[in-house]
Amino acid sequence: MTLRKFTRAEATAYGFLTVTLLFCLLPFFWVFLASVDPNASLFLSVPKGITADHFIKVFTANNGRRWFFNSLVTVGATTALVVVVGGMGGYALSRTTAWWKSPFLYAIILVRVLPPTALIVPLYKFMLFANGLMSAVVRSVVPPDSARSAMQICGFVDGYLGLILVLSAMQLPLALWIIKTYFDLTPKDYEEAALMDGANGFQRMHRILVPLALPGLGAAGLLTFIGAWGDFLMPLTFISSAELQLLPIGLFRAFQRANTIDYGYLSALALLYMLPAVVAFGLARRFLIQTFTGGIKG
Amino acid sequence: MAMTYETRMAWQNRMLLVPALVLLGCFILIPAAAAIYISFTNAALNGFAASHPQFVGLKNYVRLFSDEGFWNSLIVTFYFVFGSSIVGQFVLGLASAIALSRPIAFKPVFNAAILLPNAVPEVVAGFIWISMLGGGKYSTLSRIVGLFGIAPQNWLESVPLLMIIVVNTWRGIAFAMILMTSGLSAVPAEVYEAARMDGATPRQIFWRITLPLLRPTIFLYMLVSTAGTIAIFGLIYTLTRGGPGGATEIIGIYIYNQSFTAYQLGYGSAVAVIVLGVSVAIGAIYARVLKVQV
Amino acid sequence: MATISIENVRKNFGAVEVIKGVSFEVADGQFSVLVGPSGCGKSTLLRMIAGLECVTEGDIKLDGKRINDVPPHQRGIAMVFQSYALYPHMTVAENIGFSLDLKKVPKAKIRQQVGQVAELLQLSELLDRRPSALSGGQRQRVAIGRAIIKQPRVILFDEPLSNLDASLRVQMRAELQRLHQELKPTIVYVTHDQVEAMTMADTIVVLNQGNVAQWAHPIELYRHPRSTFVATFIGSPRMNLIKGIIVGYDATPTFAAAEGWTVPLAGRVLAATDLQPVWLGIRPEDIRLAGANAEADLSGKVAIVERLGAETYLHVVKGAETLLVRVQGDIALRPGDTVHLALDPAGFHLFDQADQVFPA
Repeated sequence: MTLRKFTRAEATAYGFLTVTLLFCLLPFFWVFLASVDPNASLFLSVPKGITADHFIKVFTANNGRRWFFNSLVTVGATTALVVVVGGMGGYALSRTTAWWKSPFLYAIILVRVLPPTALIVPLYKFMLFANGLMSAVVRSVVPPDSARSAMQICGFVDGYLGLILVLSAMQLPLALWIIKTYFDLTPKDYEEAALMDGANGFQRMHRILVPLALPGLGAAGLLTFIGAWGDFLMPLTFISSAELQLLPIGLFRAFQRANTIDYGYLSALALLYMLPAVVAFGLARRFLIQTFTGGIKG
Repeated sequence: MAMTYETRMAWQNRMLLVPALVLLGCFILIPAAAAIYISFTNAALNGFAASHPQFVGLKNYVRLFSDEGFWNSLIVTFYFVFGSSIVGQFVLGLASAIALSRPIAFKPVFNAAILLPNAVPEVVAGFIWISMLGGGKYSTLSRIVGLFGIAPQNWLESVPLLMIIVVNTWRGIAFAMILMTSGLSAVPAEVYEAARMDGATPRQIFWRITLPLLRPTIFLYMLVSTAGTIAIFGLIYTLTRGGPGGATEIIGIYIYNQSFTAYQLGYGSAVAVIVLGVSVAIGAIYARVLKVQV
Repeated sequence: MATISIENVRKNFGAVEVIKGVSFEVADGQFSVLVGPSGCGKSTLLRMIAGLECVTEGDIKLDGKRINDVPPHQRGIAMVFQSYALYPHMTVAENIGFSLDLKKVPKAKIRQQVGQVAELLQLSELLDRRPSALSGGQRQRVAIGRAIIKQPRVILFDEPLSNLDASLRVQMRAELQRLHQELKPTIVYVTHDQVEAMTMADTIVVLNQGNVAQWAHPIELYRHPRSTFVATFIGSPRMNLIKGIIVGYDATPTFAAAEGWTVPLAGRVLAATDLQPVWLGIRPEDIRLAGANAEADLSGKVAIVERLGAETYLHVVKGAETLLVRVQGDIALRPGDTVHLALDPAGFHLFDQADQVFPA
């Protein structure tokens, strides 16, 4: 009697989970199938043949490569910047006992809650202004022909620099929080031992703290990467020239050309775009479990 | 020696925080403050007002109250948040967490499947759902419901709000599940056994033991999820751009359209300020609840 | 109220057999203790009696009726968990009354019954508190209250005292005995602490790796252990076991220790087929200090002296063996001193190669 009742509950669980699994995975079937289908259309269909052409085209057709490059460069730089700045800041937040610590922590959480669309309006104005300044500086330093390419790199609007800074600012609150939590759980003993051994600040950071903090930094870095990689609004707002477009916008715009959309190409692109995020997500979970056991349960 | 060390460390800490403060200040705090200021002007991206924005006081806010588009957007946002975050994601996430807390085979497979929608970038998520929903009788959904005898339709045009609720639910189950799993694991197994010995049926155990003990976790989830869902932009923009006719114009898209399509920066800012205020209020509650727990 | 019979019960977890054919009985109103080292299966057995684990083979009977398939709450059995398992979000009163509330007993009646139980357990002042605001001992009493309000025929205890500090443990032992005398339920109590077993039980079931090593009254276990396992498990400090052989079967059976000393085994009937080598078991209190004369059976050197005030324990080394000797009061001996020991033949236990006592 006891055995049968248990099985009934189990059956419900399996049933529910299977339905949920199908619900979650169903939309992905199309993108997987279409990316290898020589006759891919927008609609789900079983491919009559398998081809790798679409994937090849992603890298050979001009735009795909460009988009990948731009995304990798900006998001990579963003991740590096956030890990460094967040690493320092998170450490300071963890170790400090200043009066403004608590309000500052509240403020960070509050920031995470602001809808980005609410910020981009004034942010755009600010970036325009900063761009103007930067333009003036660049033009006075660099010969006129290369001014344009220089602005592509250091511009605040329609330039790598601006986008990197904005993306970093968006991801910083979460990174600070994760790194701070991580350092909260790391005893000061190691630093103090190093201090007794005669290491100065820089050595302590380089040889003790950074290696110790790798899981926390890793988690923060991965989440930053995922967040920035998927960010749609910032590139949409701040990048207009085609050469600087990032993957999400490239994908979005290509999809909008109603007549001549190559769905096979697009789905291959989408798949490749998706892959780093999914892999990073899996890795991040492992790091996060290390960081947060102890954190959430307080 | 000790005093110097301590003050030196305090100074060092402050220095370490400076870069973070600069980034956050420049790109978030100042714009947020500026947004509040701009909302009191008639700034625009073109026209006379672009180069000579004037202070117009509460004119934008007054306009808000009589603007149908604004109220429409609020209502749409309300349904969106309620349907996907408070109901859809929560129920499915909780059920998944409970189902996965038992000894079940293929747990990693189920886990990975539920997490996948959350792991993919917004644009891709929107994209693949267009394949599911758009295109009338060829869309995957049409073909599925066709098996049940329901007529195929252009789902994104006939029931757009319902569709974006479904899509966002799909996207967010993972977060709810993770939080609920964490909450469930804090309940010791022996409490359930004691309840069994006291004669509780599984339904009684759920309603009188599990759910009450999950209350703090549920509260936390609701706050975080609500705040996050209000801010959604990319996913819905990719799917519907806010249409048709504003049927899915959640507040994030409304602000974007007002600011960049209609070029009414001042007005857009006013709306943004309202949203900012609401979000800050939610965020403040969120922060306090977190403090209570951490 | 209830007699429990465990008949040839086996339990498998997957491929692992945890309970390997256990049989014993608990008479009505008896306080029976299941004791044994970690992993011996005592908790599993308890949970099978409760109905929280199913029985792979064999029968569990209550008053002669087979209850293997009866769900836990219909057995008339209550359980006090090791960690108390109180509902964290309910008050003490709600915790105790929960089982009644589930059965839709009217609130007034619940309050009355909860009040009675609370008085019995001295919890009346704490009825409105949450478990988090209670001390360990108080929480335990709430767990007991939750059990007894159901007026069960049997109460099961799963290592209830292991989370309490030493002084509280002594107090609670007395409390539990008092409760047993007042309410007279049948009790099955699991512990790994043989002191608890000895002080509280009417009968003890000693378990070892899924088998019953011995089942008897406490003093019987103490005086007549049937295996070296039981002999060394029951009684603190533990019995000395000395390796040796038996010589001179026919006329004067004598125990010859491996270290060379001998001791006569008078008054025992030993068949010649009783194989050697054997173990001689003797408890520390059955060894006395003697003068260096014929009275002494052996001599050795004191390695360690443990002074407890009312008694002293000497670790005496003889060759490769160390004997534990109990001396009343205090004694002026120091490590390095030589002592002579006399063994009381009334306290001899002989165990064969298979670690079983003989003569059987």
